[in-house]
Amino acid sequence: MKKTLEIFRYNPEKDEKPYFKTYEVEVYEGMTLLDALNHIRWEQDGTLTYRRSCRSAICGSCAMKINGKTYLACKTQMMDIKSDHVKVEPLPGYEVIKDLVVDMDNFFDKLKRVKPYHITHTPPPEKERLQSPEDFHYINEAADCILCGACVSACPSAWADKEYLGPAALLKAYKFCADTRDEGADERLAIVNDRNGVWRCHYTANCMDACPKDIKITDFIARLRNMLVQDKL
Amino acid sequence: MKKTFRRSGNSGALAWFFHRLTAIYLAVVLLIHFAVMHFIGDGTLTYDKVAARLVSPGWKILDILFLYTGLYHGLYGLWNLLEDYIHNAFWRAFIYFILAFGGFALVTLGTITIVNFRG
Repeated sequence: MKKTLEIFRYNPEKDEKPYFKTYEVEVYEGMTLLDALNHIRWEQDGTLTYRRSCRSAICGSCAMKINGKTYLACKTQMMDIKSDHVKVEPLPGYEVIKDLVVDMDNFFDKLKRVKPYHITHTPPPEKERLQSPEDFHYINEAADCILCGACVSACPSAWADKEYLGPAALLKAYKFCADTRDEGADERLAIVNDRNGVWRCHYTANCMDACPKDIKITDFIARLRNMLVQDKL
Repeated sequence: MKKTFRRSGNSGALAWFFHRLTAIYLAVVLLIHFAVMHFIGDGTLTYDKVAARLVSPGWKILDILFLYTGLYHGLYGLWNLLEDYIHNAFWRAFIYFILAFGGFALVTLGTITIVNFRG
């Protein structure tokens, strides 16, 4: 069975503007979209550029827009795509470096701003800092984020306001603020408590729709807000 | 073990929290409004019927609170959306002033109208 892939192409060094190029691929049971892209790159057109790494939906490299929705290419089965025509585009909301590769610098800069690491002030225990399964419950889902950037690309607030921290950074801030081993919640909450921070989210919930890990990001942003409200009351 | 936090600096937390509280009040008052206007009685709306309600102190308090919460809720929401698109500090301050001044003028006018209404 053959499927047609219409792929976004753009090389800023050569092309005046982006265009779509069409490829035909023989698909089989178990073939992912990443396999199809690999096939095109290895067998048909070596200039096609995209990010890939783990092939297991944990590295977050291959998030892209597939028939209008954001998915991970390595997690998308070709047979599961109902249409015989598959339109593949880079993540919207980011600057395109080449073809399906987007510039993630701004994404990671914002992530760094919320201090996405454990901050501790108390002396370290003899072994590691332990966490009970009950305490892990608070961060379990938020810790699933693979930093693919799909949520930010789907967020209308992030499109409108380039300074907005965005759902991924806020989710990460929540993860560490709610982590019982961390002692840096005060400084992190002070960072997200900003007009470009947690208050820019309008609960559109597009981020949840786009998240390939089905993380309820908007809920966690709401919890972050509750932390700030409780702090004030 | 749930974590607790200390100070987190100047905040939009209370403004947002009040936005949520006003939403609850507005939802309740809207239900009362629909029930009274459309389902209780014979369903016909006349000036005399509305005027008769508005002279009672209870309705005056309900309507004044409706005015305050409705304006706060709407203007806070509008300001939040505008903030997405207005990035220049001068224009942000200018629009904020317009919204605040407009809100204050409407609150004043509405309060005077409701308080002084004699039917």
